[in-house]
Amino acid sequence: MSALAPPAALRALDIRNVFWLLAAMAFVIAPHLLRVPAWVGIFFAAIIAWRGWISISAQRFPPRWFTTVLTFGASVAVFFAYGRIVGRDAGVTLLIVMAAMKLLEMRTQREVILCIYLGFFLVMTNFLFSQSIPLGIYLLACVWLFVATLVGFQRIGATPTVRERLVPAGLLLLQALPLMAAFFLLFPRVQGPLWALPQDARAGMTGLSETMTPGNISKLIQSDSLAFRVQFEDKIPAYGTLYWRGPVLWGFDGSTWRANESAPLRNAPYEKAERPVRYAVTVEPTGKHWLFALDIPGSTLPPGSTIRHDLQIRSTRPVDTRIRYEMVSYLDYAYDEKFPQMWRNYALSLGDESRNPQTIALGQQWRADLREPAAIVNRALTMFNREFTYTLEPPLLDERSPYDDFLFQTKRGFCEHYAGSFALLMRAAGIPARIVTGYLGGDVNPLNQELIVRQADAHAWVELWLEGRGWIRVDPTGAVSPLRVEGGMDAALGPIGAMSSLIAADKLGVLSRMRYAWQVVNSEWDQWVVGYNVDRQRQFLQQLGMGVNIDWQKLALWLGGSTFVIGGLIALGLLLRDLPRRGDPSLAAWKRFCAKLARIGLARAPHEGPVDFTERVAGTRPELERAAREITERYVEARYGRGASPAQLRELSRLVRAFRAA
Amino acid sequence: MFANIRQSVADWIFRAAVPEAPPVTLVQRRIFILPTRQGYFFAFTLLLLLMASINYTLSLGFLLTFLLAAMGGVAMLHTWRNLAHLKLRPGHCPPVFAGETAHFGVTIETPSRTRFAVAIRRRDAEPSYADVELGNVAVVSLPSAAVRRGRVACGRLEIFTRYPVGLFHAWSYFDFGLQVIVYPQPDASAGAPPTQSHGEAEEGIPVPGDDEFNQLRPYHAGDPPRQIAWKALARGQGLLTKEFNATASSEMWFDWNDARALDPESRLSVLCHWVLEAERMGQSYGLRLPGTSIEPGRGDAHRTRCLNALALHGDPKPQ
Repeated sequence: MSALAPPAALRALDIRNVFWLLAAMAFVIAPHLLRVPAWVGIFFAAIIAWRGWISISAQRFPPRWFTTVLTFGASVAVFFAYGRIVGRDAGVTLLIVMAAMKLLEMRTQREVILCIYLGFFLVMTNFLFSQSIPLGIYLLACVWLFVATLVGFQRIGATPTVRERLVPAGLLLLQALPLMAAFFLLFPRVQGPLWALPQDARAGMTGLSETMTPGNISKLIQSDSLAFRVQFEDKIPAYGTLYWRGPVLWGFDGSTWRANESAPLRNAPYEKAERPVRYAVTVEPTGKHWLFALDIPGSTLPPGSTIRHDLQIRSTRPVDTRIRYEMVSYLDYAYDEKFPQMWRNYALSLGDESRNPQTIALGQQWRADLREPAAIVNRALTMFNREFTYTLEPPLLDERSPYDDFLFQTKRGFCEHYAGSFALLMRAAGIPARIVTGYLGGDVNPLNQELIVRQADAHAWVELWLEGRGWIRVDPTGAVSPLRVEGGMDAALGPIGAMSSLIAADKLGVLSRMRYAWQVVNSEWDQWVVGYNVDRQRQFLQQLGMGVNIDWQKLALWLGGSTFVIGGLIALGLLLRDLPRRGDPSLAAWKRFCAKLARIGLARAPHEGPVDFTERVAGTRPELERAAREITERYVEARYGRGASPAQLRELSRLVRAFRAA
Repeated sequence: MFANIRQSVADWIFRAAVPEAPPVTLVQRRIFILPTRQGYFFAFTLLLLLMASINYTLSLGFLLTFLLAAMGGVAMLHTWRNLAHLKLRPGHCPPVFAGETAHFGVTIETPSRTRFAVAIRRRDAEPSYADVELGNVAVVSLPSAAVRRGRVACGRLEIFTRYPVGLFHAWSYFDFGLQVIVYPQPDASAGAPPTQSHGEAEEGIPVPGDDEFNQLRPYHAGDPPRQIAWKALARGQGLLTKEFNATASSEMWFDWNDARALDPESRLSVLCHWVLEAERMGQSYGLRLPGTSIEPGRGDAHRTRCLNALALHGDPKPQ
């Protein structure tokens, strides 16, 4: 029952409605608070509290000049915190500040709606930082809260309960899910970006860099984040052969190794290549150009990429999104015996010779003493094996002459120390050498046989050019720590951190199983949701049977068709529920009751009224008397008496269901 | 702006219709639906979200955009069916005095689910909202200022809803020809009603009045409290009313010519005041207007008859 309701504008800012909005805003901004400067979080919390207090105590809103000054001040503070206003991090922070200010001065229904839509934008900004499953679920809950808030604002003239907000909003979103899926799969994907991405759009991506100085890979090793995943077509090759080639570094200035712009490869260089390995790589965004493949990539290349003279695969566009490509590699090979003089000089360059004089002298001495390249290599590896220690926390090296310092002073280091010093020694000994950075090994998920390669698997090794054999791979780290090369980082260092040791203690138990299952789920999520791009869509639609030529008309037709079908089904479902019920529900319940009795031989005679019939039932089967009388009483009241409310009808129906005649 | 356009389009499509016989059931084809301004703004927001998703290649951004778009589509169905099959009947439209607020009543019933935030409004007026529960009758009361005596016609009404999310406006029109009778504004400055008799009432015939106690009779709703036999009630005899006989001489006649005011409306106001006063005092009174004569009487029905005659005297145009 209702009478007159006050005008919509007054009702719109009902205290509870405002609190729902404030709560939804707080939830959507929460994931950002770890990323923004601390004062932004405090500012936001204070504004929310202030707005809540205005509603509770019916206080006045702050004057316009005050909010204007505060907004301006906060924007300036954002500028000083980031040095700019545009860009991902500064932009998101500014949006948070603006949303808070908008909440503070929100007075009318229109401003409320604006704030809710702003909330949807804030949901979107979270995806700039992560598109993981947990965050996705969390933000879906936030969307639910916002829609529930929207529902609350429509309940003009009433204060809806929590249930009356959450249930309709949840129902709307649930019914929207199939349509969302159809749109997601069929909506024509455009390859972004539409406009230039801000410079920091991909900030925070970890990965190998184009240079190698002692120290930068060991930082990477601390990161547990994913580099790429691999699905092998057949058996996974032995761990020790899983060298994933990344940037190849030729240039050397005395301390830093650099990738150079080497010429594209014209002819397949391998002389001998057997046993190809086929696999698909799904690589995480790096913002860089290179793609990873097993040691010697075969003739097929990922779309939109080229292979360089030094067998480095480079994508023409920076890898801004997760991409998937199929590869063929040869693990057993020999290549490039004819090695141009220009490159030979490049691979023998010692950089600034004054910077690592001791190292260069040692290499030159070996050349004079041993002559045979194989002997020189062995000599160096033996030296590493006997005198050096493998550690993730190497002492700091003298920047001026790092390799002298490492080889003759500290003798404690990591793959990049060994690879760098070894390559320099070889060059000094007259053997052309270059450094390859990339990843070694990976972690096999037994549930789907997928190889997970993490940043922690980053590695650097050396390639030497030997007369008559071509380029061969030498991994000096293996001489110091064979376990690193054979079994991976965990084997080389022992478990790191509590989580790793827990999992180590639980080798094939519940924990590791759960971790592997989670990896599988994540992998599917990345393949089908996060990584669903133009190529994936094309692939999916071809599987659907849309043929090879998929143009936008075809897509529009499919999209329209599926929207029509799904929307029609939802509409039909809703309308069927609304149709006025045919027949009398109490009569239907009574008929079910009679049918149950007929089964035990107590059929109602056509002339028998309900009361007479029940008397007969009570007479022949006294144990059924109570239940039968109760049902009959309710039925008579509902059908011949004052009628029954829906609750009473439900009760009658429940009693009939519960009635057991045996 | 959109509201204005919609109003003009609606006026053009739904030209004046003949009042319908109640009840009106909102069958599917008489419900219309269009996006609200908030709905268009929502579409614009979705466009921005889509562009951001494309630009940053955010798959979850696409999911969010499509989820919200699909939610909007589903919301259209929900908004539309929030009105479907509702049953409307005219409600109570009590008479008022000029200068007061008239209320047009409409009752709404739902055949199935509870319908939330269903609104009814007269053109250009603030809507009145109600939740319609299954098994209950929702009563919506639409206020309207009654300026002059006569009739206030309600005219065509719009029933609409924007529930659940306000993106769509679903509406339907109906017209029961509701009207409220507006009595003249009583003129309190006119003083007490004239007591002289104009009647040629026949002597000896008792007329119900309050001069002379006649008998006790069972209480009827509407009997003045001061005629209740309180002593009888105290004795436990229940509610009884003292009935009096009025003599012909105490019978009042209110005549158009007695209300010596300048203009006809003021005269009606004076007469109105006298009728109310006489009724309050429990007097028997009659009313003579040019072309009308109401024999003396008492009680609510009589009073209403007199006030109606005053309200509709000269058949004023409906407001």
